[in-house]
Amino acid sequence: MEAKNVYKTYGKNSKKADAKQIEAVKNVSLQIRKGDIKLIFGPSGSGKSTFLRCLAMLDIPDKGEIYLGDQCLTKPGVDLNKARARIGFVFQHIYLFRHLTALRNVELALRHVLKLPKEEARKRALAALAEVKVTDCAYKYPSQMSGGQAQRVGIARALARNPDIILLDEPTSALDPELTGEVIDTLRDLAKEGATMLIVSHEMPFARDVADEMIFYDEGKIVETGRPSIFFNAPSTDRAKKFMDRIIKRTTRE
Amino acid sequence: MDIWQQLSILLEGVPLTFSISLLSFFAGIAIGLPLAFIRVYEKEVGFVVDAFEKIFRGIPEIVLMLMIYFGLGPFFPFPFNNAFFVAAFVLGLRSGANQSQIYRGAIRGIGDEQMIAAQSVGLPKWSAIWHIMVPQVLTYSTPGLGSEFALLIKDSAYAYVIGGLAEIMTLSIRIKSIPPYDVITPFVLAAILYIGLTSPIAFWLDRWGNKRKKKMGL
Repeated sequence: MEAKNVYKTYGKNSKKADAKQIEAVKNVSLQIRKGDIKLIFGPSGSGKSTFLRCLAMLDIPDKGEIYLGDQCLTKPGVDLNKARARIGFVFQHIYLFRHLTALRNVELALRHVLKLPKEEARKRALAALAEVKVTDCAYKYPSQMSGGQAQRVGIARALARNPDIILLDEPTSALDPELTGEVIDTLRDLAKEGATMLIVSHEMPFARDVADEMIFYDEGKIVETGRPSIFFNAPSTDRAKKFMDRIIKRTTRE
Repeated sequence: MDIWQQLSILLEGVPLTFSISLLSFFAGIAIGLPLAFIRVYEKEVGFVVDAFEKIFRGIPEIVLMLMIYFGLGPFFPFPFNNAFFVAAFVLGLRSGANQSQIYRGAIRGIGDEQMIAAQSVGLPKWSAIWHIMVPQVLTYSTPGLGSEFALLIKDSAYAYVIGGLAEIMTLSIRIKSIPPYDVITPFVLAAILYIGLTSPIAFWLDRWGNKRKKKMGL
């Protein structure tokens, strides 16, 4: 997957005179190869989530190109639904379908997007739930699960279609601290199995162990990219250095 | 004619009153749901929905029934020469306009996150609306739908103007006009029957909705 010179600004169409325009993504380019695990981090409100949504075409970029394999998604006339079916997306606030059980949450796209027959869809959905270890929640509704369980179901939902890439938007930041561990463990398992992932996260130990590359993102731009070892030892930009210091301090305090 | 005879005559009108209301209620769902989603998700044609709502909420049901039955009936005997169809049709249009507003409120209340999630798994817009939004919107709307059904039971009484339909109101007017010309009892009985019909349905819908809402964590 590749992003080329992507721009996205919010608040442009607002009629209010004092409406602020927020340039969430300014000329961002990024390439992810099969099997890559990249991690985006940076201050909140810097546009990381918007960038991720642009990659999945959940937000349509104002300018620039998004490629999935050889296919350019930003060209007019592309069947975005087909493209999105090849991209897994995990939301910060999970967004499970509230009126469906975990199993049906995962099954839905298999049945109605991939058009698999009923039995096969069920088998694959159960396999996906087993992979993230929430088989016991299969017949529970989202409101009956813990946040960690729900988020793992969210990951199963993204995973079940065997997407080319999984985009995760702060998958642990809406969870209670004691529940982040189980989600992180799930992500570590996925990483071991060679999944292609782009993760927005501030889970630094996880980043250090798993990420092939870390991307520091601030004010709508990629400020610095590099291997985790570089970020943990000596980031080359001031901003990245300051941010890393703050985060590491916070983590050790905890 | 004593009160029990009157009551037994009026009771014969209950199935018809009920079926007019039920049919128009479902017609209202079939009209109101798509209208609400068009209004929210297809903004370019939203004005058509607004116009529909204004027209059918604005014209009194009696006027519409008379217009259609006597105006269109002679020219299009099928289906407009059928009193039952016209009554249910008119109430269905009105209910569609009302229900469209009920559902629109529900769609707004649910927010766009469920739609974004549906989009993220590759569901096309109208497929997402059908599989994700419709079940939630219906659950969310149960209190409004309960009172809408009660309204339809009551408004089915307007069907007496086109005559020939032996529903509760028409029958009570008939009782009034035969000796001993009792002008009070038949209407009091009708009133009691209407209350008896409206409240259990609203109650049941509310209970069903609350159960589903609890499951959905709303």
